[in-house]
Amino acid sequence: MTQTSTVLSIFVLFLHTTFGESGCTSADGDGTFGDDEPDNFEFDCFSQLEFKDSYSSLTCNFTELPPHHTNYSLALCTKEDSNYVCFNMEKQEDAYFLQFTDILSNKDICMVSEMKRRVCRSLVVTDIVKPEVPFNINITYQKEANEYLIHYSTPHAWKKYLKDKLIHQIAYRQEEGTWKTIESPYLQVKLLGKNLENDASYEVKVRSQPNGDYFKGMWSEWSTSKSFRTTRELHSTETYSSVVVVILSILGFMLSIVMIVLMVTFWENRIKPAVWPNLPDHKKTLEQLCKKPKNPSTAPEANLPEKFRNGSDLKMIPVMTDKSNLNPSVTYGGIWPAEALHRLLGTSQFAVTEGNCGSSTYEVCHSSGVPLCKDGFNLSSAPPQDPSGQPGPEPLNGDTASQMLPTSEMRSPNNEEAYVTMSSFYKIQ
Amino acid sequence: MFHAFFRSIFRVLPLLLVLPPVNSSSCAMGNKTTEIRVKYENILSHDVDELVNMSAEYRDRCCKNKKHENSKVFFCNDTQEIESLQSMACNMLRFFHKQKISKDFRWKAALVSCGTLQVLQCKCERHKKEKVCTQVNTHNKEGTETGEESKKKCNQEFCELKENISSLRSCWNKFEKIISR
Repeated sequence: MTQTSTVLSIFVLFLHTTFGESGCTSADGDGTFGDDEPDNFEFDCFSQLEFKDSYSSLTCNFTELPPHHTNYSLALCTKEDSNYVCFNMEKQEDAYFLQFTDILSNKDICMVSEMKRRVCRSLVVTDIVKPEVPFNINITYQKEANEYLIHYSTPHAWKKYLKDKLIHQIAYRQEEGTWKTIESPYLQVKLLGKNLENDASYEVKVRSQPNGDYFKGMWSEWSTSKSFRTTRELHSTETYSSVVVVILSILGFMLSIVMIVLMVTFWENRIKPAVWPNLPDHKKTLEQLCKKPKNPSTAPEANLPEKFRNGSDLKMIPVMTDKSNLNPSVTYGGIWPAEALHRLLGTSQFAVTEGNCGSSTYEVCHSSGVPLCKDGFNLSSAPPQDPSGQPGPEPLNGDTASQMLPTSEMRSPNNEEAYVTMSSFYKIQ
Repeated sequence: MFHAFFRSIFRVLPLLLVLPPVNSSSCAMGNKTTEIRVKYENILSHDVDELVNMSAEYRDRCCKNKKHENSKVFFCNDTQEIESLQSMACNMLRFFHKQKISKDFRWKAALVSCGTLQVLQCKCERHKKEKVCTQVNTHNKEGTETGEESKKKCNQEFCELKENISSLRSCWNKFEKIISR
């Protein structure tokens, strides 16, 4: 019995020793004496990422002092494999401060008393992030839109972790008025001019906070305030001028439409003839000149064109029928033999081949008094060869209205015949 | 009763020696891919990029055609990305004390190595991780040896470290794509 009790006591002692204070069964599970000391102190901590180069910082301060007013220190501890590594925080006035690089591992913040007793609390560095203060606030007035553009900067814009992961809060108020806030993930916001008083002084300040996707935390401190003054009520004048411009533009547009309609309407009748006058059409002009009168007169002078009536080109030469003179010579101003006359007039380029002058012929008579053709001179015959080698007469065409032969029939009942002299022919041409 | 107690104790102990697998992974975050991805994307990837940029600033013309003894470390094996990353990170810790390499460069490399091991919850052989990472985390840059530093000169260790950094980044990119699906 005695041996049994001895063995039992040893066994109980063995169990107590084996599963006792070896870091496995403490109340906090982290090798501390948490269950020995009451956890009746409060402190707040915040972290600042990339505080200096690659280092982050942790700042803690007591919100409720320990009751015994004993000296305590704070330490940041990390469980690495089988070791529990702690780094003491540096006391700076009323706060405790520490720089470190590892923000990935889970850490504990421990309060260590003078008696080396440690009370720890878990701490996630990325959940208590306090960003740095924004700075460099600029306010720009955009006249056309009547808006105030507020632009600011943050140190995290050129750092790694919190870039584009912050929410910025912009607070503004009129002089000594109530603060109004706007939140934006960007580095600029716009205030509408219509929502602000005219010619009033305003104050603006900014602060930042992690957006909560991965990094969580608290608002940073407020930036330094920046003041600006809104413009006077000039926008009404601008509105008036803009209305005038609109009215003028509408009137101009309507006037242009009216002008276009007028141009289209009067184009054919008035504008085009004035701008591009019609050139005289020689064919038509010639046809007008060759228009036969309704009662054609037998008098040769009456039927002749005015040019011929003047008698400058034609000569009424009474021909003496002399049978002995059977070989007339071709002279200018003399009697034309048939071949020469045909050669001069023989081309089909006369303009008067059509109806109007078709019936108007000259009767060319041979020196013997025998007419060459009873019906008159046929202008459509082919031109004969010129034996003298001289170039033939100029081709007769419609442009030379003077080619028109006299329309009258020149038959003198007493064998007086009209002769067209050479010179008159060239003049006609 | 006590004989039974002690018999049960002594039977269990030998079993404990036999039952554990021979090749057990020393990383504890194998199944927590979401947590790995979040930590990598928000924190570690920036450090890796910064280290790669720092590595690119150093001349490496002499590093061509250099054969490394431990070249198998630079492979990112399929379905074993975590083990490959662990191997690369533990290998990079060797360079923390190489005095021929720039202090800032090897300090940053050690920071990335420790971050990789921390995210994956991995251990290294020979317990070298604890010493180096503790020193790195205590911002004790002044503690690193400042012997003969040749920042711009090329040497075997420098070339091997650059290749190790490149392999680490590639393996992380590969692993991130897998766990992001």
